[in-house]
Amino acid sequence: MNEFLLPLISSPLFFYALIAGFLASFVGGVIGSYVVVKRISFISGSISHSIFAGIGIFLWLERVKGISWISPLEGAFLAGILSALIIGWIHLHYRQREDSVIAAVWSIGMALGILFVSQTPGYNVELTNYLVGNILWVTKQDLYFLLILDILVISLVVILHPRLLAICFDEEQATLQGIKVHRLYLLLLTLISITVVLLMQIVGIILVMTMLTIPATIANLYTKQLSRMMAISVALSCLFCLIGMVLSFYFDFPTGASIAMTAGTFYVFSLFTRRQEA
Amino acid sequence: MKNKPLAIEVYDLTFGYSKNEPVLENVSFAIEENEFIGVIGPNGGGKSTLCKLLMGFLRPWEGSIAIQKKVPTNYPNGIAYVPQNLRYDKLFPISVFEIVLQGRLSHLSFFGTYSKEDHKKALHALELVNLIEFKDVPFGTLSGGQMQRALIARALCSDPQILILDEPTANVDIEREQDVYELLLSLRKELTILMITHDIQAVIQHVSRVLLVQKHVVTFEPKHLCEHFALGLYHYPLIGASKSHFPTSDFARTNFKK
Repeated sequence: MNEFLLPLISSPLFFYALIAGFLASFVGGVIGSYVVVKRISFISGSISHSIFAGIGIFLWLERVKGISWISPLEGAFLAGILSALIIGWIHLHYRQREDSVIAAVWSIGMALGILFVSQTPGYNVELTNYLVGNILWVTKQDLYFLLILDILVISLVVILHPRLLAICFDEEQATLQGIKVHRLYLLLLTLISITVVLLMQIVGIILVMTMLTIPATIANLYTKQLSRMMAISVALSCLFCLIGMVLSFYFDFPTGASIAMTAGTFYVFSLFTRRQEA
Repeated sequence: MKNKPLAIEVYDLTFGYSKNEPVLENVSFAIEENEFIGVIGPNGGGKSTLCKLLMGFLRPWEGSIAIQKKVPTNYPNGIAYVPQNLRYDKLFPISVFEIVLQGRLSHLSFFGTYSKEDHKKALHALELVNLIEFKDVPFGTLSGGQMQRALIARALCSDPQILILDEPTANVDIEREQDVYELLLSLRKELTILMITHDIQAVIQHVSRVLLVQKHVVTFEPKHLCEHFALGLYHYPLIGASKSHFPTSDFARTNFKK
């Protein structure tokens, strides 16, 4: 076993990637549990894809316009938070056509991103890395950034958990109790957008939803308590990252796709075993 | 004889979801404290809309609503709502106790913790509805009647003055229906209760007054209920109902919006 894992751990690239995977798994497992129980995977999918607009625009500004103090990651955060607020506003005030508008935000975001990236030199490599992820790009500085965001998101969740649980389960009851449901809903979407940007670095935009929903969905099959569901989801997400990276290291597969395929395989297997038990 | 204080006052209310198509029109009525009111009417007649207006989820086009002499959008407004249990996701990972504790959300500390008092109130509410042994059981695994009682416990936990129930026995076994009604009857000394229902027999047996909601609202005594109502034929002319005879306070009149 040691012979198998030693070359992996001794490689700084792999080590950083693994830590990044674990850090993203932590926040992904927790926030993903809210996404699954509130059934807002479609909304989260729209947020995750629309961040490509921010990446494309900021990449273009940095490379073509020479604005060196901005980075695509900042663009991703900005676009994520903006699309979360737009989608949240639509959900709260324009429910009749909610799904169509969310789909529009999804595709407009992707289209904007592709347009700007196409006008940026060296776009083929950038495009692939942001769409399907490249965890081996992670630097020590990125790890500190991930850690700070992890601490921020988890601290907010610890303080707000009973309120978030209430709006996920029954918004009307929470309103009657004087909870600011609209504000909390927008905050939840903002937390989702931050999580999406963290996970994007691991598996890429296209596969973000896998990491946001599959660990939590599997966890939901095995527990009927949200806090336990979060813990199981975090553990599973870390496991998927580890297995996916090992597969990618030894078989020279793309890391994001390896992690996502591992998660998908576990999901099919757990569905099958739970059905057998039932 | 002196009238009891008014718990709910609705004055000349009109509301609809699309322009020029009011669901409720010129609705006026008042409910005294500790009344047990049955809200009946055809599907689409405006029963649920009326309850949403009372809870402050919707705002009237015209007219005014006063809950304990306050506008209903001032949360917490003293109203607790018990919805039908069908609307909940049975796979949602939440225990009965966690649901009941949600009745104490307005008392949460900044750091998101419930106090000992909140836990005590939640346990007391569970005892009241006879569900204490199910406290750690996942909500989705309860029977229809148990779910309804858990939701009533959550409502009671918030110390409401007014309890609104949406068809509390709709998804409950016939043999368990009586448990729900007995629980409600035991609560009427402390609460004003509005119960939306299609169960005309239950209305005759249990409530003190009936609101018939059918675009307009008329109120009458349960003894005036017509057997046609059980068939879904809610008609006005044959009953001694009154559309206009209701007492309202100065608050309702002065907050009138036109």
